Amino acid sequence: MTNSLLFGISIFVYFFAMVLYISYLAFRSEMLGKVASLSMLGGVVVETAAIGMRWYESYQLGIGRAPLTNLYESLVFFAWTIALIYLVLERKFKMKTMGAFVAPFPFLVMAYASLNPNDIQPLVPALKSNWLISHVVTCFVGYAAFAVSFVVSILYLFKAGSEKRSPKSAGSFWDFLPSSAALDEIGYKTIAIGFPLLTIGIVTGAFWANVAWGTYWSWDPKETWSLIVWLIYAAYLHARITRGWRGKRAAILSIVGFAATIFCYLGVNLILSGLHSYGGAS
Amino acid sequence: MSANEPVKGAKTDGTDWVEKIWDFLTSLKLVVLLLLILSALSIAGTVIEQNKPIQEYYRFYQPGTVALFMKLGLFDMYHSWWFVACLSLLALNITACTMDRYRGIMSGIRKRNLILDEKLSKSLQNLTTIRYALPLAAVEKKMVELAGKGFPGKPVVTAAEDGGSHYFFEKGKYSRLAFFMTHLSILIIFLGALVGSFFGYKGYVNIFEGETVSQVETRAGKIQKLNFQVKCNTFHAEFYPGGMPMDYRSDLSIFQKGKEVIRKTIRVNDPLTFEGVTFYQSSYGGQPDQVAIEVVNRDGSLKGSVTAPFGQKVAIPGVADQVEAADYQEHFHLPDGSEGGRAIGVNIYPANGGPVGLWLLVDHPDYDQRRGGDTYFRVKELKLKKYTGLQVNRDPGEILVWLGSILLIAGIMIAFFMSHKKLWISLRSDNKGRSELTIGGTANKNRDAFARETEQMIQNLKEVS
Repeated sequence: MTNSLLFGISIFVYFFAMVLYISYLAFRSEMLGKVASLSMLGGVVVETAAIGMRWYESYQLGIGRAPLTNLYESLVFFAWTIALIYLVLERKFKMKTMGAFVAPFPFLVMAYASLNPNDIQPLVPALKSNWLISHVVTCFVGYAAFAVSFVVSILYLFKAGSEKRSPKSAGSFWDFLPSSAALDEIGYKTIAIGFPLLTIGIVTGAFWANVAWGTYWSWDPKETWSLIVWLIYAAYLHARITRGWRGKRAAILSIVGFAATIFCYLGVNLILSGLHSYGGAS
Repeated sequence: MSANEPVKGAKTDGTDWVEKIWDFLTSLKLVVLLLLILSALSIAGTVIEQNKPIQEYYRFYQPGTVALFMKLGLFDMYHSWWFVACLSLLALNITACTMDRYRGIMSGIRKRNLILDEKLSKSLQNLTTIRYALPLAAVEKKMVELAGKGFPGKPVVTAAEDGGSHYFFEKGKYSRLAFFMTHLSILIIFLGALVGSFFGYKGYVNIFEGETVSQVETRAGKIQKLNFQVKCNTFHAEFYPGGMPMDYRSDLSIFQKGKEVIRKTIRVNDPLTFEGVTFYQSSYGGQPDQVAIEVVNRDGSLKGSVTAPFGQKVAIPGVADQVEAADYQEHFHLPDGSEGGRAIGVNIYPANGGPVGLWLLVDHPDYDQRRGGDTYFRVKELKLKKYTGLQVNRDPGEILVWLGSILLIAGIMIAFFMSHKKLWISLRSDNKGRSELTIGGTANKNRDAFARETEQMIQNLKEVS
């Protein structure tokens, strides 16, 4: 299938992007930085084509559905959104040094995806719904935003530590990163993008569940974990906005939030059972 | 909040307590604590599977643990009194915070400091003064045009004592209401859930093809009468070549006073709603209608046969025994644990002696041979009656839940992406006919972005000539 070939190519392109971003951090050459961004963009373009192709090929097979319905497809979409959100942020905040830390994610997620069965299966009746696309897309763009916030928050902790140890020493590795204040701000901004999307994702999911099963909330593990994620980021936002929690405490909450996000996404499918079991590897 | 009133003895102990409780209810500590407790409890609820049949729990836990968990309500924890108490406390906390913030937010919307005086200048971002070799009127015209790009409304103009004027622009003041939207929306969703659980029901009903029902059994085990009748005309299940389910659909009709009022084919994701009651395609199954049973001699010759309506004791012509097809399993488990397929549970009533119960496998007709004896039984044909399984809901609170959800999303969007921006510009002319413009602004959120916008405006103003 052409889509598998294209996905395969995009894994390689993401791998090169990752290597280039890390080299950029190591050698600090503007040229390398430009090539790194271009190859990341190239990865996104190839993967976009792959997703489009998979969609098209599903019609050729007489199945005809959006490529967002099993673990393999959700993983490749997750990788795609991380890469895309990163590129947008890189452009907006003009900082490429973060790339060395974010770029491994699309590559690793794609590599993990390739271990899962990738044949195009038809949809079971419950998934045949117009809500599928809006529910999955909002959830995953939200997850990807949280992923970027997670990486930035970890960088914040290192950077803040190094600033504390040697406030003025130039030339250390961490100096090349954005300032801790900027990292703190990006960590917040990405959550401010992810939180509304997760909210929309949960609401569309509830609406869909009500149409499909006659109940908008059944405390199924996936629903419950998405609520847990929502509560953690809600706590983060309340602490930050009303009490000015910044820096270390905010970064730690963001990291905890992403750990819960990953469990909500993968842990629930792989460990717990429930209504979303068809999204799993089974 | 000015909680520490300096006047001693002015308050009685009573109001002090009220204040303490109020402070507790509106504290950030309570919010964060509640959010974390609710998260932790929810995690517990996903680790301990909820609302399973009690036997399942005995397979996983010690009997003592099961008894303890039962007592604590851990098997149905989302409906336990302590979980509901946490949710109620959250609702109370949200209500208190909303009341607490009400006055501040309303005054933030109403309060307008129209004059750019020295005290105000100190609190502003991008405070800049620009001097022009232009007459005041020309600068004013240009200024209103440039500022109007960022602030579409008309400015409030106040004449200054020195003959100049103060211009006050503002935008997005109602974005301050986002606080009410996000917080009240949660209360509305809670209210919707309450209305649903008090005035609605969730039920379930199986309807055989061609049959009609006028009541359903609710989850609470009660019989709920409907104001109409529901008939299942047909049910179909279709499968993909690989065996995955493709489509489940039931052709339903609703009758009222003997007349068909609606007919619709429902599917998963496409339910039927009538008078506030919604029918969802949920499951399906079959029950034997008639079973053709044969009695076979050891040598393979037929001794007798009968077509038995399910659940009825019938005589077999030529055979002394009577037979009843009493039970049916779609997936029969053989004694060795393997799958035996469809099976009919049959009671044999011999002419003398007590009845004998045995299972006949539809797809393995010679299964009964292993009993030994002169004759054995087998199923020749099985006619199934199909039924559709419908989830039946009435939820008058649903609309509130969706209303709250939309309000929540809109509120979050406004809270994150809009802010209350204010811009002050004062103009005056000196005695040489030159003009002086002072500009400064502030926003209640996203200050950096607003500072960049204002910086751009200042650049444009500087270029005026």
